[in-house]
Amino acid sequence: MSLKELNERVSAARRETEARGETFYPGPSRIHLAAFPPKERWDDWVELDSRAWPERKERRYMLVPTTCFNCESACGLLAYVDKETLGVQKFEGNPEHPGSRGRNCAKGPATLNQVTDPDRILFPLKRAGRRGEGKWVQVGWDEVLDDLAARIRKTISEGRHNEVMYHVGRPGEDGFTERILAAWGVDGHNSHTNICSSSARAGYQFWMGLDRPSPDHANARVILLISAHLESGHYFNPHAQRIMDAKAEGAKLIVFDTRLSHTATHAELWVSPYPGSEAAILLAVANHLIQNNLYEREFVRRWWNWEEYMAVEHPELETSFEGFEEILKTLYAEYTFDYAAKEAGVPARQIEEVAALVSTAGTRFSSHNWRSAASGNSGGWQVARTLFLLNALLGAVATEGGVFPNAWNKFVPRPIYTPPHPPRWNELTWPREYPLAMNELSFLLPHFLKDGRGRVDTYFTRVYNPVWTNPDGFSWIEVLQDESAIGCYVALTPTWNESAYFADYILPMGHGSERHDIHSYETHDAQWLGFRQPVLKAARERLGEQVKDTREVNPGEVWEENEFWLELTWRIDPDGALGIRKFAESRARPGERLGVDEYYAYIFENSVPGLPERAAKENLTPLQFMRRYGAFEISSKTGALYEQEVPAEELEDPRVDRFGRVYTRTPKPASTNVVPIPVLDSDAEGRRFVGVRIDEKILRGFPTPSGRLEFYSKTLADWGWHEYATPTYIKSHVHPDKLNPDQTVLISTFRLPVQIHTRSANSKWLDEIAHTNPLWIHPTHARALGVKTGDLVRIETETGYFVLKAWVTEGIRPGVVACSHHMGRWKLSGGAGQRQLMATVALERAGSEWSLKRERGTSGYESSDPDTTRIWWADVGVHQNLTFPVHPDPVSGMHCWHQAVRVRKAEGGDRPGDIHVDTEKSREVYRAWLQFTRPADDHSPDGTRRPYWLLRPLKPAREFYRLPEMMNAE
Amino acid sequence: MELFRALAVLAEPPERPEVARLARLLGLGEPPSASEYTETFVFQLYPYASVYLGPEGMLGGEARDRVAGFLSALGRTPPHEPDHLSTLLATYARLSAPSEDEDGAVENVEDARRREGLRAARKAFLWEHLLSWLPVYLDRVAEVAPQFYRRWAELLLSALVEEARACGPPERLPLHLREAPPVSDPRAATADEFLSSLLAPARSGLILTRVDLSRAAHTLGTAARAGERKFVLKSLLGQDAGGVLAWLAEEASRQALKHASRRDAFGEVVGWWAARASATGKLLRELSTDAESHGAGART
Repeated sequence: MSLKELNERVSAARRETEARGETFYPGPSRIHLAAFPPKERWDDWVELDSRAWPERKERRYMLVPTTCFNCESACGLLAYVDKETLGVQKFEGNPEHPGSRGRNCAKGPATLNQVTDPDRILFPLKRAGRRGEGKWVQVGWDEVLDDLAARIRKTISEGRHNEVMYHVGRPGEDGFTERILAAWGVDGHNSHTNICSSSARAGYQFWMGLDRPSPDHANARVILLISAHLESGHYFNPHAQRIMDAKAEGAKLIVFDTRLSHTATHAELWVSPYPGSEAAILLAVANHLIQNNLYEREFVRRWWNWEEYMAVEHPELETSFEGFEEILKTLYAEYTFDYAAKEAGVPARQIEEVAALVSTAGTRFSSHNWRSAASGNSGGWQVARTLFLLNALLGAVATEGGVFPNAWNKFVPRPIYTPPHPPRWNELTWPREYPLAMNELSFLLPHFLKDGRGRVDTYFTRVYNPVWTNPDGFSWIEVLQDESAIGCYVALTPTWNESAYFADYILPMGHGSERHDIHSYETHDAQWLGFRQPVLKAARERLGEQVKDTREVNPGEVWEENEFWLELTWRIDPDGALGIRKFAESRARPGERLGVDEYYAYIFENSVPGLPERAAKENLTPLQFMRRYGAFEISSKTGALYEQEVPAEELEDPRVDRFGRVYTRTPKPASTNVVPIPVLDSDAEGRRFVGVRIDEKILRGFPTPSGRLEFYSKTLADWGWHEYATPTYIKSHVHPDKLNPDQTVLISTFRLPVQIHTRSANSKWLDEIAHTNPLWIHPTHARALGVKTGDLVRIETETGYFVLKAWVTEGIRPGVVACSHHMGRWKLSGGAGQRQLMATVALERAGSEWSLKRERGTSGYESSDPDTTRIWWADVGVHQNLTFPVHPDPVSGMHCWHQAVRVRKAEGGDRPGDIHVDTEKSREVYRAWLQFTRPADDHSPDGTRRPYWLLRPLKPAREFYRLPEMMNAE
Repeated sequence: MELFRALAVLAEPPERPEVARLARLLGLGEPPSASEYTETFVFQLYPYASVYLGPEGMLGGEARDRVAGFLSALGRTPPHEPDHLSTLLATYARLSAPSEDEDGAVENVEDARRREGLRAARKAFLWEHLLSWLPVYLDRVAEVAPQFYRRWAELLLSALVEEARACGPPERLPLHLREAPPVSDPRAATADEFLSSLLAPARSGLILTRVDLSRAAHTLGTAARAGERKFVLKSLLGQDAGGVLAWLAEEASRQALKHASRRDAFGEVVGWWAARASATGKLLRELSTDAESHGAGART
């Protein structure tokens, strides 16, 4: 046999083996860079017990997959379940997970710390004294459920639906709790997104209809990040590994970051702009592409809504693409390299280099902005909008190496029940002042309650810590302590947090290995589904046992939320009279409550294309397959869906309007993928929007009102923001023009690579690596203040001040200071709490004046874990968010995090971590920013509260979009 | 070329489940036993480029760093043992993969430049880090290893012959070889330095295994003491310096001829090895003559 034939023989054997879903080259070895136990041996994997060294003692494991719960990337984990003890020995990566491909950051393996944390909450707790007094009694789940069910039943029966609110931090299963709330008929979903990513979402949604980018980094030639994606960005682990793949193939990386992040150190071009000037730089790059005809002309002609722009904005001109191009050349002409350089405070030459590099990318240009500059600045949503302008100019949209709309790289399987849209609108979360807000105005809730706009009877937080995470935390404490504002506060949390001290119930929820969820995220150009599961349940079931309830295998009485919500729903409506119970009822066993096994079996059998067939090849049911492997790839390389032709059978009685929008009478084909996609208006005769006509073909297009990429957002123009309808540069609230001479900008939005908000404080490995958040300050700035590393400084905000240590570093731009938001955890003196990363503090109030004084930092302590005696760090940083007033962007609704501050040396008596705030000043700032809004009452073009096509996590029925005055008039 | 990846796996311990499967796929017969693997790669012919290309004749050092540097220059993270034969072959399999995807499709200038860069990288890697030592190494495997590994070595060698032909000859000798100093002359250096350099293939042009030294002892009727090779060689010289040096000279000539026989396939690279082995043989003969005439061994 010739060498060529031998080669082909090996390749064919590999292809055949891999087609069977088996491993041809199983690791670990020095050849294969990934070192994973082959899945064929997951039932019985042998490793030597490191603690028995030098004796070679074998330990046998069952490897059970689950999904990490620490950040939103939802990377795959493999739990090593000791077959002798049936305990989890460690967590490593799951090589079968299409997103993370077996690789994890430090937070994944640290799940073990969270599971074994001696300070975790193991039983339901009920408040015994006053709110915040720190007295608790242990109660049973039945008591909790009966009390909450009765309370919610009463609220619903009395028509006070809007008094039930669920506030989510770390997302769980796509749509699960939204459906629970819909089943109850309440518009009570409240997310953290407006303090997180809604600004960038706005920038993307006004372009392409979908609010998240899905960059195909691995295949890009040039990557532009306005983030610290290699260490901490959104989906950072799946994305980071693909960025490195691309770099290995020669891709060039450009990073905009005022700080020298780890990501910036990997960049070919690192730009350190003045905060908020990013859009000016991006427009200068765009202008370079436009003036030099370096854009993909045919793509722009076919896919931008330039005809609509010309018709609305330049009706006096003849509508032609050439005419549009002439105007385009004038629109950004002022954004020269020199102008951008002046705004950004970086050399024009560097911006020119960025432009030159971007212009070489062709359609392999991947870009990403999620929080960072978009979340820091008022008008920050235009950072994402101007960034995507570059993709739109290059035609790098849903191309190999380009940026996809996320919904094309995401799969949300249709569940067993889909309750109807709630018949009401909650103004506490969706106030009229912010008709275009991407998400709920969650961080304004204390102010709305103080304004008397409503009250909350039952308030759930779910893996969320509003006091600590939101700006203006003292205002949160004020309303959480006010039982007339919040009747009952229920904190669903796996660990102690600053908000839980003020709760009425603390309910222990499971970590990533103790709960069910399904996930699908836009990590690359593919659609995959990951399964989070209680690994000890799955392990025991492999051994032939039956586990009905996760509490049977979890520590203490830790429960998972899905079972909790189903049980609560069942008890709210015990006889079905409210029409709620049916959404929690078993189909297999009518009259019984739906269980999680039936719930997931239904989804995996009926709603995930290809999964039943794949499972059958291994003689497994779809549920067994997911329990065994933890993930399934539904499709890859979805490509440019907008270019797909609409088939003739979907075009009954079609109509095409003047801008090429096509409408049909054919009902929308059923799909098992229920990923949220904008619902676009029908034509006057009730035909649904189906696509756009381009060059005589009817194509799917984008889910925007025009069906095209919206260079011009008629929505923005119609709803009062005409000046921002095209991508532009909005000067930030921290623009130098708006600062006093003694003020500087504080960047407060960056993460520490191994920590994740308040989720990871009980991870000893992570705490040892990162436990404090000093102030980054440039040597020139520090010298002027007479400050050196380790000295205490005071940072004065609009409402108060905080005290922390300085870290003098050239890694920050001169004149800008920065402090990570991941630190400064605290617990009240004498109260329970977590001891590895929480300082003990005294909280004092005098009227609207609050102070938080550090009594002591962390230190070693005796516990069931001997490592806790070895805690060597005492400084756990400062909780700076307490001193930030609310800054809601009037368009996106995003809290604009950057702060104009004064930095000076600390005063005598100041201690690190000390904080002082006047919440009355917070109220003034809130009122001042409210003045910037353009409410629906005055600016709605059609009498509704909000454009119906914009995404909303839980959508009310359409008629409730109408403003109350309009409804009353009818 | 996937074949290289499969051959790389076969240089891994045979208890790995895929070894048996690949052995059969490649027609190499029954897989080797664990002891055969140990005999070949742990006792006789250490599968690391640095052993054969470094002036120390030991693991690591600059020879290993050069492989790591090459991988870094390609944007890849060097693994823990970048110069292990399996790693080198697997890396080459990856480097050679893109060129097999060529389908004549129209490509832009940038793609063409990248492809050309990859082609150059593949050729450089082949000559610098594989063909700089594998022809002489594999010849020795084919001589001293058990049956399975002999067949494996012959198959790998024939695959390398094809690659050398496909990529064309290098512009100049690999850097490792250009910079390798010759064997130390014990008349100008210490005996220890001489022995170390004799056992460093890049300096002597010889690959001397434990089996070779046993063979020498057997032929000369001397006792081979148990120990590492330098210790064994030293004890042999202590017993019969002239005879051992003559035997080594003969072995050097034999290996030089063997190296030279590969000149058609590998050109100047094996020519270099042949010349170096010949030069060492010449020195050894002189030393042997000196030893016989003076009745004394090398200066100790």
